[in-house]
Amino acid sequence: MDTDKVLEELKGIMVERLKFEPSRLPDLSLATVLPKDMEGSLGLDSLDFIELSIGIEERFGFVIDEAQDLEAHFQSLGTLAEYIKSRLADR
Amino acid sequence: MLGLRVAARMTSSLDEAGPRWYAHAYNRPNFYRFAAALSWVPRRLRLALARRIGRLAPSFMPTERAAIQKAMTRFTGATGARLDTLTVRVFTDFAMCFSDLVSTNRQLAAHRLSHVGHVEGLERLASLSGGLISLTAHVGNWELAGRLLAGRSARPTHVVVAPDEARELERWVRRDGEGVRFVSRSRPTVSLELLAALRRGEVVGVQGDRALGTKGDVEISFFGRPARFPLGPFRLSSAVGVPLLPAFCLLDAHYRYVVKIAEPFTAARGEEEAAAHTWVAALEAIVREYPTQWFNFFDIWEPFGQ
Repeated sequence: MDTDKVLEELKGIMVERLKFEPSRLPDLSLATVLPKDMEGSLGLDSLDFIELSIGIEERFGFVIDEAQDLEAHFQSLGTLAEYIKSRLADR
Repeated sequence: MLGLRVAARMTSSLDEAGPRWYAHAYNRPNFYRFAAALSWVPRRLRLALARRIGRLAPSFMPTERAAIQKAMTRFTGATGARLDTLTVRVFTDFAMCFSDLVSTNRQLAAHRLSHVGHVEGLERLASLSGGLISLTAHVGNWELAGRLLAGRSARPTHVVVAPDEARELERWVRRDGEGVRFVSRSRPTVSLELLAALRRGEVVGVQGDRALGTKGDVEISFFGRPARFPLGPFRLSSAVGVPLLPAFCLLDAHYRYVVKIAEPFTAARGEEEAAAHTWVAALEAIVREYPTQWFNFFDIWEPFGQ
């Protein structure tokens, strides 16, 4: 799966699970920062990250690896897409 | 920290800014230092001194006294002299638990256990294997409850704490060790760490009595009036499929601690709010039994000054 496809899937999760307004989807890019309290971020809080991680597991069919430093992977849509791609490649 | 913290919402939009938390004027290192310096005093004497100080406290804390009076009225229906007595009792009970927080709680496990008279519902903890969420509140000596449960469960316990605790107070109230690790909510991605811990079969300890002032709060009737409670613990439970275990540590009439572990329950996907209602019912039952160990010195029904 290429990066653009992963990004589209992530946008779908944002709308379905995080109740993200579909009209804002064009604003999202790989550079979009996720955690709240960061410059220009989407403002995701701890509950959003729970939803996002469960959504990723369901959509992509893998369990997010607890042994890894997950915070770095969830910093932006770009880092998240790369993480998902690497997990898919490992299968 | 056991209690003296208050939330004030500074904007009309929770999602824009959320509440601003501030430490009480007396939440200063010198008070902790003073209390810790008395650790060498025999506990009986130390608690007597704490009660004396606690009796004076309402005079210096009119806002907190008013909030406690309102709570005691709701919890007990008391009025007049009885209400005054109960109000002062909250401050004296708090002073004793605070004194233990910075002394007894820091002792070796075996010594700490000598101050625990009875553990009710331990079989409920023993019956659970794998990850679980230990749910408690600012009632009694919750920190001691967490340490005792961590010892009993024989699993690493991650205690979730508010992010803005004054750093200089951490050495007294957030001492890692004996299987307990404090995790600050300062980063929103902390929930990923907690999910992972639960999946490893570890314990997450969280307090479920203080709203965060975010979209993650839910309104539930508490002693007949709507109050806001955090939904986070229940979302976490449903995401991983682990049970929630309400646990409290209360001071009894003989100044020994009683640990009460309530019936575990689960939060099914989409049923998180119903699970929060179950929790609030358990909390209400404990507060009804021990009203003067309610250590939220702000208006729980209007925490953001609405």
